[in-house]
Amino acid sequence: MKRFLALPFAGPLLALVVVAAAVALTTARFLEAGNLSNLVLQVSIIAIVAIGSSFVIFTGGIDLSPGSMIALLTMVFALTVKMGEFPLAVGVLVVLVLGTGLGLLNGLLTAYLRIPSFITTLAALSAFRGIAFMFNNGSPIFSVSPDLERIFYGTLVGIPLPLFYVVVLYAAAFWFLRNTAAGRAVYAVGGSSSAARLSGISVRRVQLLAFLVAGLSAAIGSVLMAARLNSGSPNYGVGMELSAIAAAVIGGASLSGGRGNIVNTVLGALTIVIVQNGLNLNAVPTSAQNVVVGAIIVLAVGIDMWRAEIGQAMSFFSSSKGDNPARSTT
Amino acid sequence: MPDPVALWELENVTKRFGGVVANDRVSLRLFGGQIHGLLGENGSGKSTLIKTLCGAHQPESGRILRAGQPVTLADPIAARRAGIATVFQEFSLVPTLSVAENVFLGRLPLRRGRQIDWARMREDARRVLASMSVKIDCDAVVGELSVANQQLVEIAKALAVDATMIVLDEPTAALGIEEIVRLHALLRRLRDQGRAILYISHRLDEVVDLVDAITILKNGRVSSSAEESRIELSYIVQSMVGDVGEHYPKERNATDEVLFRASGLSTANRVRDVSFEVRRGEVFGLGGVLGSGRTEVARAIFGVDRLVAGSMTLRGEPFRPSGPPSAIHGGVALVPENRKADGLFFNFTGFPNVSIASLGKLGAYGTIRLRTEREAGRRLVRDLDITPTAEERLVGTLSGGNQQKIIVARWLFADAELFVLDEPTQGIDIGAKIAVYRLMNRLTAAGKGVLLISSDHDELLAMSDRIGIMSHGRLVGVHLPKELDVTSLVRASTGPGPPAQKEIVA
Repeated sequence: MKRFLALPFAGPLLALVVVAAAVALTTARFLEAGNLSNLVLQVSIIAIVAIGSSFVIFTGGIDLSPGSMIALLTMVFALTVKMGEFPLAVGVLVVLVLGTGLGLLNGLLTAYLRIPSFITTLAALSAFRGIAFMFNNGSPIFSVSPDLERIFYGTLVGIPLPLFYVVVLYAAAFWFLRNTAAGRAVYAVGGSSSAARLSGISVRRVQLLAFLVAGLSAAIGSVLMAARLNSGSPNYGVGMELSAIAAAVIGGASLSGGRGNIVNTVLGALTIVIVQNGLNLNAVPTSAQNVVVGAIIVLAVGIDMWRAEIGQAMSFFSSSKGDNPARSTT
Repeated sequence: MPDPVALWELENVTKRFGGVVANDRVSLRLFGGQIHGLLGENGSGKSTLIKTLCGAHQPESGRILRAGQPVTLADPIAARRAGIATVFQEFSLVPTLSVAENVFLGRLPLRRGRQIDWARMREDARRVLASMSVKIDCDAVVGELSVANQQLVEIAKALAVDATMIVLDEPTAALGIEEIVRLHALLRRLRDQGRAILYISHRLDEVVDLVDAITILKNGRVSSSAEESRIELSYIVQSMVGDVGEHYPKERNATDEVLFRASGLSTANRVRDVSFEVRRGEVFGLGGVLGSGRTEVARAIFGVDRLVAGSMTLRGEPFRPSGPPSAIHGGVALVPENRKADGLFFNFTGFPNVSIASLGKLGAYGTIRLRTEREAGRRLVRDLDITPTAEERLVGTLSGGNQQKIIVARWLFADAELFVLDEPTQGIDIGAKIAVYRLMNRLTAAGKGVLLISSDHDELLAMSDRIGIMSHGRLVGVHLPKELDVTSLVRASTGPGPPAQKEIVA
């Protein structure tokens, strides 16, 4: 037991098991095969979007924009494929490129104009959804393409495709963060941007990279979102940013940056989705569900903050002195 | 002789942080009508003592007495109510509010109906400022005042609550000569009104001029009490630093080959026309008071601050770093002054902290081979006598000495040749200090050059092969250590120069 608790994923896994057990106790329908496979489909989009949110959080930033970005990108996707009559592959490509571009925009504003990411992405949250409503008189676009749903509902050797996407993307993200210099720099910047700078790391480029990943993962999430209901809608993705952030934080990522394991983010996403699923199965109204999700986020962030406080108490005995470069240049 | 019952008294105050005893049975008697100097080197326990006095720390044992009666200063508000006002280096003013509002912050005079009585507040503020004989508009916005005037507002705040004791922590660090003279005149007036003043400063010459009594701390203890202290520079220095050269394992490895040369360096933030060279195997010491521009020289060499004039060479070739990456690539290492904020990654264990400045060496095409990292980390841990637990533990849980060694290991791994060490032994215990000195010997024995910035005068004298003294951004002299002793070093670096560039600090 002790050895298990020392594992990096012990906490999030424990939280997941407890939540799943609690839901299973309240309703027998939770463990039915139909519900479980539905869960896999539901969690896939949040989990993929949460990869980007995690990258940004690891660098010490925050991304509030993916929900709105999804609305905008599903509309662009539907327009390209249905109105523009371009092949599906072109639509996917357009969405991926545009999503990365929007991530680039968030990143440039944050890293190079030094506007806090909370503000840039809050502005993007408002603006992206606003733009999404400008298309098609603000109405959803249905029946985008007869082949589209297969992207989401298709299976390979009997396993739903979204499970493959999640596994492949998480494996790639895990490898990148663990085995590349850029991945290491993501954690370094989140740990201490001034120490990173004095170690020769370009803090701006790393922040930009995190937002590029965030844009790309939101774009992939958008394709799946559009495929799920074969449609684009300016109302898609409402609250997605909160779910994605919650997934990262429940997975143990520190909102002050530098700490977190991407694999745990997927456990966090599962936890969130199972809670929502449990509330659904128990016929709790959506309004109350939103309250519960809010409470979970406060709880998860609260735990993160207390953790920071404990760390602070431990490093309390730190000397302070003038002659300090930060003071003399500002 | 002052009254035998002290206005304020600390009696055998002890404060511990973990295993470190910051204050060990410190006693201090402060009388009304007296300016009392509190002196000691960095890490001698001054800050802890001040924090105890202003209610931020609670002593583990010992008592605080007011006019002979024990009092408990449970928090800063209680201390202020009891009559202790502390003026820290970092002011506790609200920059966007007016002078009058700041003076009465937290206790604005009210009329009936809980409305602020603006007229009375401004009148009272004016009266307090007039009692100090200073001309500051009480409606001025504090953030727009000069540093010197902000400090006066801070003192006015103390007077407005009728503090019986005023504690000033390095009050002149950011002031020019004339402002210092004015501040001292004010402090003398306040003393003559019967208040007790506790004055902390690194500038010993001004302390000697100002104070009536001196308590000197060393390693957390009183090394010279007010009764024994002579108010005389050489006595003070002797009591502050103790016997020189007892624990410095200095090896002489300097060669004649110039590794690094700076010619006429000037930056926009203080450095003026600084020229010196560091030879292979040499420790070139840089002395001077806080704010004399030493750290800024280090920043310029590391490419953090841009040069506005001057040039550098490294290994005989022109060296013009565009930023830290190019300085690192050129072979320069910076061990920053504040290792907690600027040096270490507390979210990492030991090895990632070592490899972070040269990740390119861990694999091709931007990849990292964790095995290579582990092997290099273990080798350096062994070489530098770092605790083997650094492999698994977050660096925050390691001792200060091990933390500092990890940063040096980082630069050894990056193949640096010029090591800029900015206050490398600040805040670490004596055993760890000796380990850092041994490390400097290893660096010089390997033909590397060391630029040592230190406020620890003993250390600078004992470990340097040559010493340059900085004052007001200029290098005012280069000496061999044997030409200097602690007293002359202190004199040279604290002597009055042109007014400090106070705007830079603001």
